[in-house]
Amino acid sequence: MNDATQIVRERATALLADGTVAAVVGWAAGRGDHDRHVFVARTPEEAALLVADQYCGALAAKRVLSLLDEGKIALVARGCESRAVNRFMADRQLKRDQVHVIGWPCPGMLDPATGDALKRCTECQRRNPVLSDEVVGDPVPEPELDRFAELERFEQKTPEERRAFFQDMYESCIRCYACRNACPCCTCRVCFVDQERVGWMGEEFTADQARYYGTVRAFHTGDRCIECGECQRVCPQHLPLMLLMHKQVRDIDGLFGPYPGGGMEPEGPDPLRTYHTDDLEEFM
Amino acid sequence: MPIAETAHEAQGQANEEFRPKILAFCCNWCTYAGADLAGLNRMNYPADVKVLRVPCSGRVNPQHVLRALQDGCDGVLVCGCHPGDCHYSTGNYYAKRRMMVFKRLLEFEGLPPERFQIRWISGSEAGKFRDTIVQVTDDIKKLGPMAADEPSQAVVAALRAKEGEL
Repeated sequence: MNDATQIVRERATALLADGTVAAVVGWAAGRGDHDRHVFVARTPEEAALLVADQYCGALAAKRVLSLLDEGKIALVARGCESRAVNRFMADRQLKRDQVHVIGWPCPGMLDPATGDALKRCTECQRRNPVLSDEVVGDPVPEPELDRFAELERFEQKTPEERRAFFQDMYESCIRCYACRNACPCCTCRVCFVDQERVGWMGEEFTADQARYYGTVRAFHTGDRCIECGECQRVCPQHLPLMLLMHKQVRDIDGLFGPYPGGGMEPEGPDPLRTYHTDDLEEFM
Repeated sequence: MPIAETAHEAQGQANEEFRPKILAFCCNWCTYAGADLAGLNRMNYPADVKVLRVPCSGRVNPQHVLRALQDGCDGVLVCGCHPGDCHYSTGNYYAKRRMMVFKRLLEFEGLPPERFQIRWISGSEAGKFRDTIVQVTDDIKKLGPMAADEPSQAVVAALRAKEGEL
């Protein structure tokens, strides 16, 4: 058992025992050696099952939103989870006093199948939590990575190659909506794809419909994306969804920037929900 | 060959000439008035453009643009008041930011930039409206129908060959 697991269990037990929080959201071990899933501990006994090690690949933050009826919720938060909490607050999904953030400086997660670093962790900007009520362990050095490297490589392709690539990508999409369900920015009560009366999405199952879903989903979350990469991690077809998100984040930074990325601040208008009268003009 | 919906299209098919379908979102207060003025002044411009009046360029959901391109339009034009002149004060500023990012996203996915254009045209700029329509129609005619954008078999085969590599 590593230090982080030990401290997380102790802190969760204490918080649950003295009634500060109704539940603690973290991870627990599954059946396999490195199998970890998001876990909600409601009693001190359950808190002893919590795990915080290098195989906790899933983003736990969104689970908090479904538990708010139970009272104050504690969340074990790495950099990405803490940015998601900021995101929830900016989107009015959560108030700061509804969540107790147990900050956990992230060591970087590993893929349980291969043992390599998770792709979303190789593009991480922020491993230490951006907000927390308490911190487990010492701060870790922030990674110095170019998160747009893959995007830049991709942009070398000709438009025709990109067209072919995305045609291929949208043909493989099975429209399971896992990317939407996992996304901490997707908090609409009724998503546009579920609005049957309005009929945004067609009934047929084609690459065109998948493109419509994929592009619009990416655009809906583009200016708020916290770049956690959870959409790509959960995609059963392994589609490179973060390409679309990184593309928009970099464009926003270049056009309306400087823009550090979503969820870095608890408040403040998102880039596409505000404007400046001296914005760049290119449509004259 | 698709069934012709209008006399213009029937004529186009008869001449074997490609007549594009272009959808122009025009804001009620500026561009639509500009189009009206162009009509009053008997200005000639291609009839390939279907004008769709919206209250404000800020009303144009980017989803509309993508849906139009998927449902048979060969090009989309979004027009509004000049920044600072919006009837609702701020609508076109929001539209501008939104469209700047969305246009880049579509181009990233391989859409030729000419197929989705945005212009600011005021109520007195009838000439600019006509020139814009002429220019956009020319652009789309050069590109051909949307089906012409389909990637060639060679490119698809090359992509398939190095599957797994981005």
